[in-house]
Amino acid sequence: MLEISELHKRFAGGPDAPDGKLALDGIGFAVRPGEMYGFVGANGAGKTTTMRIVMGVLQADSGSVSWQGRPLGYEDRRRFGYMPEERGLYQKMRVAEQIEYFGRLHGMSAAVAKKATEDLMERLGVAERRNDPVQALSLGNQQRVQLAVALVHDPEVLVLDEPFSGLDPIAVDALATALQERCAGGVPVIFSSHQLELVERLCDSVGIVSAGRMVATGTVADLRSAGNDTLRVVVRNPAQGWADGLPGTVTVSGDRHILRTTYGDDQEILRRAVKAGHVEHFGHERPTLTEIFKEAVA
Amino acid sequence: MNGLMLVARREIVTQVRTKAFVIGLLITAALVAAISFAPKLFGGPESYALGTVDSQRLPLEAAAPDAEFTWRAFPDEAAAKQAVLAGDVDAVLVGGTKVLTDGKIDDQLGVLLQSVNREAKLGAAGVSIPPLQVVSVGADTRYQAARTGLATVLVIVLFMMLIGQATMVAMGVVEEKGSRIVEILLATLRPWQLLGGKIVGLGVVGLINLVTILAVGLAASMASGISADFPPGMPGLVAGVLVWFVLGYAFFATLAGAFASLVSRQEEVNSVLTPLIMVIMVSYFVSFFATRDPTGTLATVTSYVPPFSSMIMPVRMAAAEVPLWQAGLSMAAMVVAVLAALAFGAKVYQRAVLRTGARVKLGDVVRAR
Ligand SMILES: Nc1ncnc2c1ncn2[C@@H]1O[C@H](COP(=O)(O)OP(=O)(O)OP(=O)(O)O)[C@@H](O)[C@H]1O
Ligand SMILES: [Mg+2]
Repeated sequence: MLEISELHKRFAGGPDAPDGKLALDGIGFAVRPGEMYGFVGANGAGKTTTMRIVMGVLQADSGSVSWQGRPLGYEDRRRFGYMPEERGLYQKMRVAEQIEYFGRLHGMSAAVAKKATEDLMERLGVAERRNDPVQALSLGNQQRVQLAVALVHDPEVLVLDEPFSGLDPIAVDALATALQERCAGGVPVIFSSHQLELVERLCDSVGIVSAGRMVATGTVADLRSAGNDTLRVVVRNPAQGWADGLPGTVTVSGDRHILRTTYGDDQEILRRAVKAGHVEHFGHERPTLTEIFKEAVA
Repeated sequence: MNGLMLVARREIVTQVRTKAFVIGLLITAALVAAISFAPKLFGGPESYALGTVDSQRLPLEAAAPDAEFTWRAFPDEAAAKQAVLAGDVDAVLVGGTKVLTDGKIDDQLGVLLQSVNREAKLGAAGVSIPPLQVVSVGADTRYQAARTGLATVLVIVLFMMLIGQATMVAMGVVEEKGSRIVEILLATLRPWQLLGGKIVGLGVVGLINLVTILAVGLAASMASGISADFPPGMPGLVAGVLVWFVLGYAFFATLAGAFASLVSRQEEVNSVLTPLIMVIMVSYFVSFFATRDPTGTLATVTSYVPPFSSMIMPVRMAAAEVPLWQAGLSMAAMVVAVLAALAFGAKVYQRAVLRTGARVKLGDVVRAR
């Protein structure tokens, strides 16, 4: 299990902000083996900073990261796979050589690294570009190479900062499949993303971070059922002003009026709706991740 | 293979494969070969074409063994005059009493003819003069010209190699920092491995260059014959040059890498390297001066002061004989300086290389806990 607890990080400030910037204010969550963990939050919330601390690229002011019950050390991290937010590859180095080089840096023998590189290039669809310098590839293809670099050494843990941004739908699926396979093999995967539908579809658990704090964390199902249900009522041809005084929002589409509310007395609303017109739909709805997110970071 | 070696290997492979490296190597090799042949082409031994009319040849060869003389006999003075005016011969000896020349006679040839003529006439009269014996009470200066030449070539080579390789290290560091690849590299390497690997790799590339230059230079000197003038102890000198290059390079490259880690863009490299380049330039000028005056106070004192010593001491050793203890002392001081540079450089690099964006102030890095 990868456990992140109570991370605090303040960046040194410039002349206009002598106190600096508090980027993390007690971030903590845990990822189990084989779990896909989605890390979401508004821009500047602290996702990248957290991941950098996990990868040892940045030092936290306080707090800890532990892996399998022990504080995470340099040797453990070498077995992690990392895709930073700011992509970086040797632009002039050839695709295959680059992936192989990183395999070797992670301690693979030459032969094993070569084999793993071939497999990955095949799977990620960059095999025919093996001898091209990275700079000759399109951005999306460079991203696939970046991903190959993160995956080549068969990592024990994957930490990916916005791995899906900039990919076409086909590549998104290929990447999703690749990640799901790793997960199935018992690897904990953390990735950050702003594509909440994707997170909802792929992840077992989600953590929502806002201004350096965790505002929600748990399985997607738990979060959805813990969130306030919305009552959705659709009435056809209602009398004018039928919903006046009721909380929530009414949207009109054609002759249908749709009321969304979190107001508690649903029976009262039902009575008024029946009186006003033809009730087509009346029901409680679980919030989507997007709704939970908006509520959580509001 | 450990991380540092993998990084070094990548640097070497990447560099050696580039056209710039191959072409650069060929050009320097050609240049060095040309320099080794130059003295032969321009300087060369003196050679004189002489003629006789009704007279014996003078034994000039015995008096001036380094010069070459060719003799021709002319039937009469008119033919000799014509040959002198045509420039076919430098001088013609007529009847053992007179010399024909076109205008003023070459100084050296004039003195030579007069003294050999005098000796020959005296000898014929039974008077023999033992030649003056020359005893030097100063240093052995037989090899001075060759030493000065060697030292001059050495200054230029060391200067170019140090500046070139240190700049390469700096550019490599900024490439990695600017492209953010350093973030994934440092997730699997320690900062000292990354910087150290780069320094070692580019150092090996530098050594390949230097060894090529030395080998081509020595081979060409043997081929052209100027190696005959080389002072004794050449193998020691060559070994010394290599060791001094390694020391100087380790010092400057480490600091260049560390300073470069303060900036994120190639355009900013020059500004952070300025102080280092200045130090190398000062060493260069003092070394150049030392080629002419290797035993002067300036050269002697600075040849102990690191990092200047890394250029000045090898030049002093080439330009004059330097006692072993002096070279050793200077080298020990330089080794200490290199170790200090490594400690300092690794610290600066480690703290600055992940701080992308605006230029990081050296003071902030050093002061940070
Ligand atoms: N090197 C730095 N120096 C100063 N402040 C920083 C630095 N890096 C991040 N910050 C600040 O820390 C906060 C968190 O940034 P972080 O990059 O972690 O956000 P994020 O959640 O990854 O945002 P995004 O979704 O835009 O990628 C931001 O306010 C940011 O301005
Ligand atoms: Mg981010």
